[in-house]
Amino acid sequence: MKKNLQRISFLFCILFFSLTTWAQNKTITGKVSDESGTPILAASVIVKGTNQGTSTDVNGDFTLSVPENAKILTISSTGFVTKGVPIVGNTISVSLVRATSNLDEVVVVGYGSQRKSNVTGAISGVKAADLEKIPDGRVEQALQGRVSGVTVMQNSGQPGSPSTIQIRGVTTFNNNNPLWVVDGVVVDAGGIGYINQSDIESIEVLKDAASAAIYGTRAAGGVILVTTKKGKAGKTVVSYNGYYGTSAPAKVLDLLNASQYATLRNESAVAAGKDIVFTDIASLGKGTDWQKAIFNYSAPRYSHEVSVSGGSEKSTFYFSAGIENQDGIVATDISNYNKISIRLNSTHKISKVFTFGQTLGYTHQKSMGLGNTNSEFGGPLSSAINLDPVTPLVVTDVASQPNAVIYENADIIKDAKGNPYGISNYVGQEMTNPLAYIQTRLGGYNWSDDIVGNAYLEATPIKGLTLRSSLGAKKAFWGNQGFTPVYLLSSSVSSSKNSYSKGENKSFNWNIENTITYNRTFGQHDITVLLGEGTYVENIGGNAGMTYFNLPINDYRDASFKFDVGLANRDGYAGDFTEHKIYSLFSRINYSFADKYLFTGIIRNDGSTRFGYNKKYGNFPSFSAGWNVHKENFWKMNDIINSLKIRSGYGVVGNDNSGDFQYLARVVGGYNYSFGNSGVVTTGYAPETLDNPNLHWEQTASGDVGFDARVLNDFTVSFDWFNKKTTGILRQVRIPGYVGVSSDPWDNVADMKNSGIELELGFHKRIGQVNLAINANGSHIKNTVTYVSADTNFIGGGAGFQSMGTITRIQVGNSFNSFWGYKTLGIFQNEQQILDYKNKSGAPIQPDARPGDFKWADLNGDGKITDDDLDKTFLGSNLPKYTFGFTVNLQYKGFDFMAFGQGVAGNKIFQGLRRLDILTSNYSTKALGRWTGEGTSNTFPRLTDSDPNGNFGKMSDFYLESGDYLRFKVVQFGYTLPNNLFKGIGVSRLRVYVTGENLFTITKYSGYDPEVGGGVFGIDKGQYPQARTFMGGVQLSF
Amino acid sequence: MKHIRINTAILAATFLVLLGSCSKDYITLQPKGEFLTQNYYATREQAYSGLVAAYDLLRKNAGGFENMITMMNAGSDDNYAGGGGPTDGVGIHGFSDFTINANTMPASFWGDHYQGIFRTNILLNKLPGTTMDAAEMARFTAEAKALRATYYFNLVRMFRNIPLILEPLAATDIYNVTQATPEEVYAQIEKDLTEAIPDLPASVNLATEAGRFTKVAAQAQLGKVYLYENKKPEAAAMLAQVNGATPGEPNQYGNNLLPNFADLWVFTNKFNAESLLECVHTDQSNADWGFWGSSADEGNTAAQMVGPRSYIKSGPDAPDIYPSGWSFNVWTQNFYDAIKDDPRFSSTVLDVKALAAAGQCSYLQGDQNTGYFLKKFIPMKSDIRKGGGAVELNFQQNDYIIRLADTYLLEAEALGATGARAQALLDAVRARVGLASVPVSMDAIKKERRLELAGEGHRFFDLVRWGDAATKLADRGFTAGKNEIFPIPASELQGTKLVQNPNY
Repeated sequence: MKKNLQRISFLFCILFFSLTTWAQNKTITGKVSDESGTPILAASVIVKGTNQGTSTDVNGDFTLSVPENAKILTISSTGFVTKGVPIVGNTISVSLVRATSNLDEVVVVGYGSQRKSNVTGAISGVKAADLEKIPDGRVEQALQGRVSGVTVMQNSGQPGSPSTIQIRGVTTFNNNNPLWVVDGVVVDAGGIGYINQSDIESIEVLKDAASAAIYGTRAAGGVILVTTKKGKAGKTVVSYNGYYGTSAPAKVLDLLNASQYATLRNESAVAAGKDIVFTDIASLGKGTDWQKAIFNYSAPRYSHEVSVSGGSEKSTFYFSAGIENQDGIVATDISNYNKISIRLNSTHKISKVFTFGQTLGYTHQKSMGLGNTNSEFGGPLSSAINLDPVTPLVVTDVASQPNAVIYENADIIKDAKGNPYGISNYVGQEMTNPLAYIQTRLGGYNWSDDIVGNAYLEATPIKGLTLRSSLGAKKAFWGNQGFTPVYLLSSSVSSSKNSYSKGENKSFNWNIENTITYNRTFGQHDITVLLGEGTYVENIGGNAGMTYFNLPINDYRDASFKFDVGLANRDGYAGDFTEHKIYSLFSRINYSFADKYLFTGIIRNDGSTRFGYNKKYGNFPSFSAGWNVHKENFWKMNDIINSLKIRSGYGVVGNDNSGDFQYLARVVGGYNYSFGNSGVVTTGYAPETLDNPNLHWEQTASGDVGFDARVLNDFTVSFDWFNKKTTGILRQVRIPGYVGVSSDPWDNVADMKNSGIELELGFHKRIGQVNLAINANGSHIKNTVTYVSADTNFIGGGAGFQSMGTITRIQVGNSFNSFWGYKTLGIFQNEQQILDYKNKSGAPIQPDARPGDFKWADLNGDGKITDDDLDKTFLGSNLPKYTFGFTVNLQYKGFDFMAFGQGVAGNKIFQGLRRLDILTSNYSTKALGRWTGEGTSNTFPRLTDSDPNGNFGKMSDFYLESGDYLRFKVVQFGYTLPNNLFKGIGVSRLRVYVTGENLFTITKYSGYDPEVGGGVFGIDKGQYPQARTFMGGVQLSF
Repeated sequence: MKHIRINTAILAATFLVLLGSCSKDYITLQPKGEFLTQNYYATREQAYSGLVAAYDLLRKNAGGFENMITMMNAGSDDNYAGGGGPTDGVGIHGFSDFTINANTMPASFWGDHYQGIFRTNILLNKLPGTTMDAAEMARFTAEAKALRATYYFNLVRMFRNIPLILEPLAATDIYNVTQATPEEVYAQIEKDLTEAIPDLPASVNLATEAGRFTKVAAQAQLGKVYLYENKKPEAAAMLAQVNGATPGEPNQYGNNLLPNFADLWVFTNKFNAESLLECVHTDQSNADWGFWGSSADEGNTAAQMVGPRSYIKSGPDAPDIYPSGWSFNVWTQNFYDAIKDDPRFSSTVLDVKALAAAGQCSYLQGDQNTGYFLKKFIPMKSDIRKGGGAVELNFQQNDYIIRLADTYLLEAEALGATGARAQALLDAVRARVGLASVPVSMDAIKKERRLELAGEGHRFFDLVRWGDAATKLADRGFTAGKNEIFPIPASELQGTKLVQNPNY
C-alpha cells in the first residue's frame, strides 16, 4: 500500500511538473454576459480540473492562457447558475442564467454546506444581493419579512437598538433568543449588532429541530448562521457604497390642545365634585405642542463603506471598512448612533493538503439613548404625551405662572437665553419638561468594542476526507459613561448633587471545534459523514464601575475623574461573570441515492455547566428525509410542475440559556443589616434557595413536513408545516412562603406548543426587456401553553401597567402572555340601563355605576363585579398569528426598482400611552368623543377624576387595539450608468439610487407605531417610533 | 509523500490533545463568591454572617413598600391608607377599608417573617457545630431565639393560625406542613424568649453592636407577649423588670423616658435611652429601585411614604421637608380632633392643610387626603442620602419596635389599670410631655396609648387586644370575627394543607 502510494504520488508529481513546465498553452478570449446581454463583472473563469483561471473585467471580457489539452471552462458568478463551457476555438461567448431556481445554490447548514436541492431540513435564508438593497442598521432587521416563520419586532426606534426575533414562535418562558453563529463563532444575541450588513455573504435560518440539532442544547430558539464575504481569485475589486439621508417621524399623535385640555379637565373635576380648574379657557389657545418640541424632522443619517477583495488561486482576501451614523428622531441631542467597522477575511492554500483561513472583524459602536423609553415613568416621549399643553415650553414671564415660586429654585434648567423651561403645575410625578430633561442627560453614552474572529486549518489528506480544526473567539468590551448635573425638573424630580459615572465590562468567549468529514460516492450512492467535537467557553470576564459625586463643576463638558472628590464621594462596584462551558460531541450523516432519496441523521451530545449533578449531559438526535420526486423515472417532464421535493424531519433540541448554578443551594451574601449608630452595613449570608440536582435543559421536539417545487417554469413554492413542543421549561416554582427561602428554586416544569405553516413563493420572469422578480412569504403560528405546574394552571404575567398590576397571564390553553382583564359590554347610557343590568336575585350588578360608565361583563356569574381575578378573562394575544412579507424587483436596462413590504396580523397591542394615576395627564383627541350624555358614545366612557367604576383604572379591552399592519418598508429606485461612460477611468460600475424607508404603514393602531417588540410584545407605553427616511446613495466599483 | 504522513500525524496528535483536555470536571463549576449550604457556618465569622441575615428581616418594620408600620397604621382609626390613588397599594388600601382578601393580601407580610424564621432555624441548627467561643455561641443562640420569637409574634398577631416551623424543612416535607394552634405558637415564643434572656448581654457597644438584642429588649418583648396571651400577672412581673422600680427614673439598664418627646423623632437620635428594641436603617446601603424592599435595602421606606406629594415650601413657617413623599398614612379627622390640643401634636401631626391655607406651602393632594401628615417619620431634607442610590429609599431614621413609654403603658394595663404603680406609670408618660395626672383607668390608658404611640403601628393590635376594634373601626368596614386577623395569602394555600382563616 505504502509503495503504491509512493508510486502514485511520484506519477502525480511528474504529471504536475510536466503540466506547469512543458504543457503547450493557447490563449482564449471571451465575454461573459447575463441573459439580457449585460456584461458580468468579476465572473470567475477557470479551466475545469485545474487551478488556472481569471475573472472578467468591466465589459465581461477575459483573456486566459489554457493548456492545449484543456476541454472545459467553468464560469461562475454570484447570483448566476455556474456553467461549464466546452473549449471550441479561441473565442468563447457565454451567457449565464440568473440563479432563479436556487437549486444549485449552496446552503450553509452548520459545520458544512449542502446543495439546496439535497437539503432535507427547513432552512431559509437571505443572500448578499438582497441585503445590499436594505440599508438597515442591524442585521436582525434584514430578516424581517424576508424569511417565513421568523417574527422580528423592533424593540425601539432608537438608532442601533436590537430587535426581538422569534423563530417559529415562542419556545420558552425564558430567553427565547436564537443562537447566532457568525463564521462558526457563537455570538450572543445582543452582541450581533457589531456585524456590518454589507460584509454578509449569506444568512441561513435553521428553523426546524432536524436541522438545528447539530447545535444541540443551544438550538431550541432556532439557529441563525451568518457567513461573511470571502475574496475571489482574479482581479482585485474595489467597491464603494455610500448613502446620505434624513429621517423624520412617520406619525405624530393627535393630542388635545390647551383649550380642549382645559375643557376636559374641568369636566372631569366637576364630575368628581371638585371645583373648576380653568376659568378662562378661551385665553389658553392651542398651547404647547410637546411632541413638536422633541421630534426632529431632518435627522441626518449616512453610511460609507469601502471593500477591497481579490486574490490568486493560492490566497484570497476580503477587506472592508465602514462608518455609519444615524441620528434619532426623538430628542436628537441625546439619541444617536455611530458605528465603525473593519473586517479582514482571507484563505490561503498552504499546500495541496492544507488550507488555512481566517475571519476577523472589529467594530466600535457608540450610542446615546433617551434613557427611559417605553416606560410610563417619564422620559421625553412619555412626558411629551402626558404633559398638559397649558404649561409653556419656555417661560419668559415667571410671574405669570401659577407656580411662580418653583422658578426661584437655583437648580432649575434654563435655555440658552437664560429663560427657564416650563414646569407643569398640573402634571406631576415623573413627567417633566422634555427639553429640560434632555439638558440633564447630555454627554452620556454607551459604547462597545467587539473583536470577533476565527481561524481554521483544513486538511484533505485523501480525496473525500477533510479534517478541520477551528478556533473562534469573541472579545468584547462595553460600557457607559455619563454625567448628571444638579437639577430640578419639577418639585418631585430633582437631583441635589451631581454625579459622574462610568461602567466598563469585558468578556471573552472562545471555542475550539474539530471535525472530520468524509464524502464518498459509489455508483448512485453519495454519503457524507461528519464527526466532530467542540469546546465552548463563554463569559470569561467581569465588570467594574465608579461614580463620583459632588464634582466642583456642573456641566458635562467639564466632568472628569481627575477631580479629587474624596473617598466619601465615590461609589464603586466590581463583578465577575460566571463562566458558561459546554463540551460537545456531534455527528451527522447525509446519504442520497441518485439525488432522489435523501436522508440526514444528526446526533449531538452536550455537557453544560448549567445543569445539575444528575443531568450534566444531554443527547439531541434528529433525522430527516427528502424525496426529489421529479427525478423519478415515472415522472413525466411537464410545464406545470417542473420540480418537486418532499421532505420531512423530526428532531430534539435543547435550551440551556438559563441562569448559572440554579441547581445549587448556595449561601449568598446580601442579607444585610446595620448594627450600631455609624450606619455601616454588615453583609449577612444565608441560603438563597433549595437545590435541585436534577435540573436540566429545556427540551424542544419538533416535526416538520414540507415541499419545495418549481411550477409553470417561473414560480417557486416552498411550504412547511411544523409542530413543536417544548417540555420542562425552566421556571422558579413557587413554593410555600413558610419554607422561608428568599428565592424560589428552579425546576423543569412547564410545557408549551407551537404549530404553524409557512409558505414562500417566488416568481421570476423576463418579459421583453424587463426582468421581474417577486418574492413573497407568509407564516401562521399558533402558540399554546400546555402545562404550567402541578398546583396552578397560570402564572401572573410578564407585563404590568402601573396600578393595574399585571395585564398579561401565562395560562394553560392560551398563548404565552395573553392579555388578561375585564370585558366591556358598552357604556351605560342612562340610569335605567344600570338597573336593568341585574343578577339572578334582581339586584343591579353594578349598583354604584353612573351613566357614562362601562358595563362590565360578569363572567363568573356571581352577580357582582369583583376586584380580584374572578371577572377577568383573556382578551387577546400579543403574538402575531400571521407574519408576511413581499419583495418586488424590477429591472429595465440600467434602471432597477425594488419595493419591500412586511406586516403582521392577529395580534393585540396594549395602548398605555396615558399615565393612569396622573388624573391631569393630557388625552388623545379620541377623548373628544367621550360619553357626555345619552347616545354620545358607547366606547369611550365619561371623564371623572374619581373614576369609581374603574373605567380607566381597570385593565380591560378598552386598552387593547388591533396590532395588524402592513408596512411599505423599503422602496428603492436605482440607475446603473452605461459602462462606456467611464471606461477610461477604470470604473466598472456606477449605480446611483434613492431609497425611501418606512414610507407608509396601513394600520388601525392609534399609537406611534404598531411594531412593539421587547420581552413581551405589544406593550406600548410610549415606544420610540421608527423613523421615515429618505436617502440617496452611490455604488461604485473599480 | 513523507510530508503528508507527518502532517497527518500532527493533525491526529492535535485532535487527541484537544480531546484529552476535556474531562467531566470540565463542565462542573464551583460557585465563586458564594458558599454551599452544607459547608457554611463552620467558623465564627460565618456564623456571624448568618446572624446578620437573621436580623435582616427586622427591617420589615419600616423597610420596603410593604412594611409593618404603614400597613398596620392604615387599618387603624387614626390613619387612612392614603397614597397616590385608591389602587396605590392594593393591599394597604384593602386593609384600610377591610375589603382585603386572600388575593389582595400582600404575601410578604407572611413570607418575609418566615424568611427570618428560616434563617434563625438554620443558624440554631448549625451553631452547635461552629468553631467559636462558647460564650459568644450562647449569645448568638439567644439572639436567634429572640429573633425567632419576634417574627412569630408578628405572624401570630397578624394571621393567628400559622405553621410552627422550628427546623429547616426537608424538600420532602414542604407540602405536609399544617397550622399550629395560636397557643402552641405563643408557648414557643415564650420558651424562646425565656431561654434567650439569660444569655443576652445587659448592654452593647453603641457604635458597633447597637440594634442587637439585649436582655431588656427580650424582657420587654416577653412582657408584651404575656399581655397578648392575657397572662397579666406574668406580664406585669416581666415588664416591671423593664420599667424599673420607679417610673420616670432609670431602670437597671439605664433606660429612661427622654425628657423631650420631640427628641424621639430626630433622625440622628438613634438608640436613645428610651429605646428598647429598634429597627435600624441607614443611608449607606445605596438602596435603589432595583432592590427596593429586598434584603440589601436598609433605608426607611415608611419615611418616604408618609411625606406629602410635590411639596413646595413657599414661606418661612413651612418645614424643610423632602418634597416628593407619597402621602400615605394621612391622619383621620377623628385622630386630629383627639390630639389637636395635646402637647405631642406638633411632633405627631404635620398640618400641611393649615400651612397651605396660610400660603406657606403647596402640595398635591393624594388619595383620602386630609392634609394631616404623619410627622414622626416625615422625611427631612437634611436626611437626604449623601451617597448613592435613590433619594426616596435611603432615609435613615430608625423606628422603635418597642420603647419605654410603650412598656410603661403595657405594664399599667397588665396591672389591671389600678393601683399606685399603674398610676405612677401612667403619670410618668404624661408628665414627660407636661400633662397633669389623671386617675388611672383602662380608658385613661387607652387614650394615652393612642396619643403617645400614634402612627407607630400599634393601634390596630391594641384595638383588637382590647376588643374595641369592631366598634372603633365599624365605619371603616371592619367585620367582627373576621378582620381581627389577615387572610392567609392565597398563594400559601395552593397545594398545601393550610386552611384559610375564618370568613375569608
